[in-house]
Amino acid sequence: MADVIVVPQVHTPSPAWRAVRLVPGLLLLAAIGFAGKLLEQNIAAYAKAHHLVLPNIEYVLWAILLGLAISNTVGVPEIFKSGVATYEFWLKAGIVLLGSRFLLGDILKLGGVSLLLVAVEITGSIAFMTLLGRLFKLKPKLTSLLAVGSAVCGVSAIIATRGAIEADDEDSSFSIAAILALGAFALFTFPLIGHALHLGDRAYGIWAGLAVDNTAEATAAGALYSDAAGKLAVLVKSTRNAMIGFVVLAYAIYWASRGQAKTVQNKVAFLWEKFPKFVLGFLVISVLATYQFFSKEQVTALGNLSRWAFLLTFAGVGLRTNFREMRKQGLRPFTVGAIGEVVIAAFTLALVFGAQKLLGW
Amino acid sequence: MSPIEENTLNTNRWRLTLDSWAVVIALLAALLIRVGVFKHIPW
Repeated sequence: MADVIVVPQVHTPSPAWRAVRLVPGLLLLAAIGFAGKLLEQNIAAYAKAHHLVLPNIEYVLWAILLGLAISNTVGVPEIFKSGVATYEFWLKAGIVLLGSRFLLGDILKLGGVSLLLVAVEITGSIAFMTLLGRLFKLKPKLTSLLAVGSAVCGVSAIIATRGAIEADDEDSSFSIAAILALGAFALFTFPLIGHALHLGDRAYGIWAGLAVDNTAEATAAGALYSDAAGKLAVLVKSTRNAMIGFVVLAYAIYWASRGQAKTVQNKVAFLWEKFPKFVLGFLVISVLATYQFFSKEQVTALGNLSRWAFLLTFAGVGLRTNFREMRKQGLRPFTVGAIGEVVIAAFTLALVFGAQKLLGW
Repeated sequence: MSPIEENTLNTNRWRLTLDSWAVVIALLAALLIRVGVFKHIPW
């Protein structure tokens, strides 16, 4: 009798069903973000009505704190997970729309300075993290992932590099957990340090964009300080993101030369594939705004739409951060990441002070 | 290459990344604001 081979049926959900599955999580993001906004407004109104001096806690922090509270107590139920994961989408759409608040001249001026600072930051961070990984005897590919994560742009850079250098899943989850935990820590410490050092909006925004790894956390750390600092943090972070292709390509070539990864055949296609397209979208909107394609009211509307997108992002940052899960990943990569981040934060702060002195900000 | 593999590759080639979708949706929203479909976005 011939053997019967049972081929398991793989059901791909229809696009409509996939869209429906996003709804609960999206509603949760909106509810948390909106609750954060209401808390900010109501506490400020209460303080004013009762002549109290209360610290102004922005909606950004409330949304993150509410998300963190849910994620680390009751947890995020399965039904919400796919919708919550869309926070990255809102972050990128928000950044594109934020382009309307930048004139091309400002981008060229600040972009030139930040490009130089970013180049120094990336080179210094990769060199230091590689040295630290060797000192702590981490696996070489894990060290590469941690170096890329802290030098360029957090989780996206780690995911892009993992594929290019054929790193283990375990190494990438270690690095992602370390970068996320340190990003959450930076979110709360950076504004405190900035205020303690009396940093101006420009200096702080550039520092947050240079030193905080994940784009969502860099955006939030900037927005927690001030609106102007938030805008600059996004600009500098986007400049860092734009470098991702070059750094990943360099790592891919290095590991391929050691016979431990595939050779990159078409380098231009590789760079285009890794290039973050939202940076182009940001530039397109900025060019349109510079040449007055939008009226003043329309620019305000675009800016407000960008803030709504960020509101969903900040709620997602809190919901995505689970300290228990991060603790499970082990101490060594986290220690390397933590030492690296502290040194990179100090190094980038010195860079910002240097630029401030040189350019007379 | 089997027809299934070929089909999958062709489908993936035209699939937009999350990054590109964010750009498309944001540009579409900007266009709708520009042509006056959304006149005022409150905050």
